[in-house]
Amino acid sequence: MRLLRSGGEGLLLALLASLVLLLALWPMLRLAQEAILPGGTLDPTIAIDVLGARSTWNATFNSLDAALWSSAIALVLGTAFALLVGATDVRFKTLLVFGFVLPLLIPPPITALAWTQLFGPGSALLGALGLAPPAGSPNPIYSREGIILLLGIQHAPLVFITVRAGLRQLPGELVETAHVFGASTGQALRRVVLPLLAPGMIAGTALAFVSAIGNFGIAAFLGIPARHTLLPVLIYQRLASFGPQVIAEIAVLSVLVGVIAIAGVLVQTWLLRRRDVASLEGANRPYRVELGPTRPLVEATAALAIVLLLVLPLLALVATSLVPAYGVRLSVETATLANYVEVLLNQDVTRRAFANSTLLSAGAAFTLMLMALPLAYLMAWRRNPVARALRPVVDLPYALPGVVLAVACILIFLRPLPGLGFSIYGTLWIIFAAYLARFMTLALTPVLAGFQQIDKAVDEAAQVDGAGIVDRLRRVVMPLMAAPAAAGGLLVFMTAYNELTVSALLWSSGTETLGVVVFNLEDGGYTVLAASVAVVCLVAVLAIIGLLQALDSRYRLGVLPWTT
Amino acid sequence: MPTKRLLASLTGIALVLGAPAAMAASGKLVLYTSQPNADAQATVDAFTAAHPDVEVEWVRDGTTKIMAKLRAEFAAGDPRPDVLLIADTVTMESLEQEGRLMAYTDAPTAGFDAALFDAEGYYFSTKLITTGIVYNNDAPMQPRSWNDLVRDEAKGQVAMPSPLTSGAAAIHMETLTSNPDFGWAYYEALAANDIQPQGGNGGVFRAVASGEKLYGVVIDFLPIREAKNGSPVTFVFPEEGVSAVTEPVAILSTAENPDAAKAFVDFLLSVEGQELAASQGYLPAHPDVAPPEGFPPLAEISLMSFDATAALEGDQANKERFVEIFGQ
Repeated sequence: MRLLRSGGEGLLLALLASLVLLLALWPMLRLAQEAILPGGTLDPTIAIDVLGARSTWNATFNSLDAALWSSAIALVLGTAFALLVGATDVRFKTLLVFGFVLPLLIPPPITALAWTQLFGPGSALLGALGLAPPAGSPNPIYSREGIILLLGIQHAPLVFITVRAGLRQLPGELVETAHVFGASTGQALRRVVLPLLAPGMIAGTALAFVSAIGNFGIAAFLGIPARHTLLPVLIYQRLASFGPQVIAEIAVLSVLVGVIAIAGVLVQTWLLRRRDVASLEGANRPYRVELGPTRPLVEATAALAIVLLLVLPLLALVATSLVPAYGVRLSVETATLANYVEVLLNQDVTRRAFANSTLLSAGAAFTLMLMALPLAYLMAWRRNPVARALRPVVDLPYALPGVVLAVACILIFLRPLPGLGFSIYGTLWIIFAAYLARFMTLALTPVLAGFQQIDKAVDEAAQVDGAGIVDRLRRVVMPLMAAPAAAGGLLVFMTAYNELTVSALLWSSGTETLGVVVFNLEDGGYTVLAASVAVVCLVAVLAIIGLLQALDSRYRLGVLPWTT
Repeated sequence: MPTKRLLASLTGIALVLGAPAAMAASGKLVLYTSQPNADAQATVDAFTAAHPDVEVEWVRDGTTKIMAKLRAEFAAGDPRPDVLLIADTVTMESLEQEGRLMAYTDAPTAGFDAALFDAEGYYFSTKLITTGIVYNNDAPMQPRSWNDLVRDEAKGQVAMPSPLTSGAAAIHMETLTSNPDFGWAYYEALAANDIQPQGGNGGVFRAVASGEKLYGVVIDFLPIREAKNGSPVTFVFPEEGVSAVTEPVAILSTAENPDAAKAFVDFLLSVEGQELAASQGYLPAHPDVAPPEGFPPLAEISLMSFDATAALEGDQANKERFVEIFGQ
């Protein structure tokens, strides 16, 4: 009887669950199988060879080193900034948060390219200002330290967001009590505030660590010229030089990356549990520090930091895109838009990449919106246990490093699809499938939040009226959830539009994405063209952020960190 | 003098006569090339202008990477390209030996140096890309010889492409190490001078143009062309001679559209195709087509000797020796 009544819902659930499992879980299981049973037989020699190779150990060490130090930088920068905007009476908060969080939203390859243009004797920006070092000086950003610095800046917003959330829950009364017992502001900060913020700091640092382990863009742009190889780059180089024949070795390396990422999360869980954190709920009076006469100085320092970390590298990138040839000094006479004409109008490959990336990200955004609405509905309003059990599966491909997913997709799609007789390897479809898996969680999260804000009574009323599941989704859910769904779709579009990690391993004849084109142009010595494509992508990102901002301020979705 | 002119006009006739075979070409042509993006685009544009019924789909990457892609396709039993236009003859030689190439004995080769073609008609050189020395105009020394790179002034200041990444660099290494005046001792001296070959020619040019390195071992067209656009670099053909890759074109034995593929080969070897190469800033393979601005005439460039078959045999051993010397 119950089955009959919920027949439509059961069918919908079955459809969604099989899509999620096929896209998100199957590739990961297949990858694990390939690492343990290469080619279907138990053969540990490949795994032993790969794990015993010196190159593997070097890359693993470099990856751990870069991830640990960069998350330390992210921890310091992110916590300091969170305290600054979350606990002091500093002015221009929205602007400061925007400037600090933006690096997280700029694609890593563009960040890396921009920073390489900021230093060294060839910097068009430094040259125009007459500050370029003499010829023969190395570019310091092509180094281990450069990689660590950029990863730290890119991921500092992750710590910032979690610590700031913790600050909101922090009871100001506790700090006042400390002051009553004679603690100075600094002592209170060290002994009361920071220990209470530790959970947010740990969670944010773990996120920064996992993101750094999986980062390809910065590791490739800076690490390849510096001959400082991190694991994702090692995987890319193996695949680029030897092709899918060595997929078994690559699978072992990918599993290694995944295991390190998971280990990071486990350490976080253990640290959080060990601390036995008291729940901080209902802060009556938030923690506040009056800066007093030092306020303008603090504000100026924060602004200067943002100029150094964000504005200058982007200016350097723009400067490089405006010179006619690499190494030319930028001036009013030499500045030219010829590179933009070349990449936007003349070169087929860049035009094709714009089309591919637009198609892929719009397609993924639209498909995922359609999936996220009913899935979130079943999770949040219907509280369907099967749907709720899918949540970690949805998160998995995004939480794990992108190379892991890409290699898993190659494993699945290299051979012809069963029953269809053709392979989607080398077509846009394989990238599309990978995008669907990877960005599903981005589409789902805002919609879930949306459902939690609205009382499900409207849905139950419609159900009492005898409306079926499809009817209810169309008439009740869609109109209510249009804004969160659109926000999720935009997040997917923005992230996929500039994505490089997944497509670097999956692109092929005619299926170059924008990230791949920027990478290939830079690799071929066409830095000025790479910079032009990067600037165009950057403008696209800013435009999408503008759209999200409009949605967010109207519907209070909380998808952009500086609006909450 | 008169004989040369006669030869030139005969060549012209031969080139014109060579064209009709291609006239009827149509359909889709898949090209894998290691030409830089903009040039590959121009080549494809000029070819499709001459053959409007052919739709060209092309993929560009470094020779090593494009070969990895192609080998994966061989393994999967589904090679996509009809024609291959890559940096060096060694790779072509290996494909020929594996039976992956289709002989094209009627190709319009009159007038070219016979050393530029495979004797059985499996592949055809289309241009010369020489490897010489580039220096940043702010550098204190203006190198003229390969030996200048192992001098103290150049210590740690030379960027060089890795033969593990670049086909041209592999040929360069084979050319120099098989030359009795240099041999492996030269590469050992480079290593001793803190020189670390790495990546492709693009990275070398970028390092020298930006001034991060003062000198570079690099293929000719990148610095010559970019110097014309204002890049602060100068290219030198060293006095001992240069190594060269010849950007051969070949038709795959599995080509789905051999007619269009032949038309493409004909086009590259035609006067029009050779002039296109010159207009893109490359040294044309045809001695009567004028080289682009910034290049000396073909006759004045001395090429060091090179044996593709021997290079193929020694390829693996040479690369291993390279890895040993530079500790990579």
